[in-house]
Amino acid sequence: MLLTLIILYIISLIYISIVERFRNYASIIAIQGWILLGIALLRLHSLDWVELSFIVIETLVFKALIVPAILTRVINQTRINRIRTSGTSQFNSLMLSVVALIISAIMTYYIADSSINMVFFGVALYAMLSGLILIVLRSRIFTHMVGFLVIENGVFLFSMAIGVEMPMLINAAIMLDILMSVLMLGMFMTKVDHKIHTDDSDSLTRVKD
Amino acid sequence: MIYIFFAIWILVAAATFFARSRKMVHSLYLIYLVSHAIFGLNLLFGGAYLSTSGEFFTFDQIGTLFYVLLFVVSCYVFIHSEEYLKDDTIVNYRNYFALLMLLTAAITGVYFANNIAITWILLETTTLCAAGIIYHRHSKATLEATWKYLFVCSTGIAIAYLGILLLCATASNNSLNYNDLQHLIINGNPLYLKAAFLLILTGYSCKMEIFPLYTIGVDANFAAPAPASAMISTGLVNAGFLAIFRIYKLFSTTEVFPWVKNVMLIIGLLSLMVGALFLRRTNNYKRFLSYSTVENMGIVAIGLGIGGIGVWAAIFHVVCHTFIKSSLFLQIAIVRQIYNGYRINRIGDYININKVGAIGLLLGMIAVLAFPPSPLFISELMIMMEALTLRGWWVLAIMVLLICIVIFTVCHRMIKLCYQSNQDELHLSNINRRLSYSALSLLVFALVIGFWQPTILRDIIDKIAMF
Repeated sequence: MLLTLIILYIISLIYISIVERFRNYASIIAIQGWILLGIALLRLHSLDWVELSFIVIETLVFKALIVPAILTRVINQTRINRIRTSGTSQFNSLMLSVVALIISAIMTYYIADSSINMVFFGVALYAMLSGLILIVLRSRIFTHMVGFLVIENGVFLFSMAIGVEMPMLINAAIMLDILMSVLMLGMFMTKVDHKIHTDDSDSLTRVKD
Repeated sequence: MIYIFFAIWILVAAATFFARSRKMVHSLYLIYLVSHAIFGLNLLFGGAYLSTSGEFFTFDQIGTLFYVLLFVVSCYVFIHSEEYLKDDTIVNYRNYFALLMLLTAAITGVYFANNIAITWILLETTTLCAAGIIYHRHSKATLEATWKYLFVCSTGIAIAYLGILLLCATASNNSLNYNDLQHLIINGNPLYLKAAFLLILTGYSCKMEIFPLYTIGVDANFAAPAPASAMISTGLVNAGFLAIFRIYKLFSTTEVFPWVKNVMLIIGLLSLMVGALFLRRTNNYKRFLSYSTVENMGIVAIGLGIGGIGVWAAIFHVVCHTFIKSSLFLQIAIVRQIYNGYRINRIGDYININKVGAIGLLLGMIAVLAFPPSPLFISELMIMMEALTLRGWWVLAIMVLLICIVIFTVCHRMIKLCYQSNQDELHLSNINRRLSYSALSLLVFALVIGFWQPTILRDIIDKIAMF
């Protein structure tokens, strides 16, 4: 079951590299949230209600429901539905994504030891590289936001790759990180597009030398 | 003890958010500063020094030293902000002060945190508070700067989190206390340790304003009101430095420490290079001062990279830089009120418009360029001598070359502000010489340290640098 979820997660990462419609981005982020919920529940050490409620809030409430809902609202408000056609082609994005997958697998093979779960480590690395690829290749702010969320999901998987059980302090820190993401999304939704009237990161060039 | 003060600071900040008049904001920030003074006095004379508060905070030497600096700078920043924002609406005014209070409280927490996760959480909190301050003017430029600040800082903090996770994997334990970690990682996997250090350094570089994520600090200083920039460029930068320094100290007992020092040296040289080159490129005095911070923090990183007496010099450099840079930012705030802008090519003749302010800027120029009697002269000389002894001539040659570029550029730009003919509209009614004198007094602190370093300061830095 766990392996199936991991494979589904990898497929979602490959798919996100070729997606052009913003609604599909929002759907993939929601699907990733559900997959992460499944993985986290399967990895649960014992039935600890505090840990369980934390997992549900982080994955289901935030990653699978609230964040995709905010993304959808942004799409409805801005009425921008696609990435720029002048950007990198789907084929090139796919190739880059596959290269990132291969690099992640090779790095995992050489780096991981007994203290780290190889499968989780590799997928987390691939997720982070996919997020970076999205931010670098796509010019619209919306896609950058999605790239950031993909990186955040990668970080979540990475925390699972580490064998030691994290104290509640770290869990609280992750919640703060998510709060930050939601804040960014909120700001993006209400302010950036309204004030700057831009759908393009190239327009964010007032603050520079 | 610290938890009670945190509660007081948060309550006062919350009350400020709902203040109905400037007088009320004024009273609240006085209460806030008095509570900080009580906390500081208790720390220094009430027996709290070197003790632990709860599970997560320790009042160690470096935290206490930086806290004293933060308190001094924050007093100046609050007083200057009041005058600087006198034309703002009450909503903007109270929000600014409340966020500044929260930022100061979060920075205080970073200084005293003895747990790597608490440091990380509080650094993230500083991002939230600083973002509100950066967005203060509600213009397109500030919105863009805020967006970039939040985006890059969040990514940076997420990267640092990965490093912390790797460190935990190496330690094979869930204790995140710095002292415990220091013992646990001694025999850790060198590859993991190196990766963890790189990730944490990259993440925290956005706070310390060094390469690679230095840009975001420059943008933040540019967009925030100038008195707040004085806080961001000193108090917050010191918090970033302290977070990195604690990690650096953590690694000092591991076998990868020589590699860690090499990384710090490279990062320091790259920061110095970026600072030197962008100082020439920018056309805005606030960004100009920010790049000067990047350059100075580069020198600090080089000091850590060299090791030995370089560590002592690096800490001394940070202490003196705090006084000098906050003074310069507060002076530039007065410049903005007179010219209504910071454009390097257009504004000038400042020596005839505000002589005290111009002298403050020229003295600040001498101090920041490490000309004697600047205290930075001592630290830079020590770093260079140690570089020559431990690292060979090439580090020294690169440093000297880049510092020459910095000296030429800073002199050229500052003298331009004072003596070139002015092309912008003047708002002479905004001249406030008392504030110029006030900012100048901060510089006097630095210059006094240049002539005479108190024994207590030397002893504290000795203890901090000894590990």
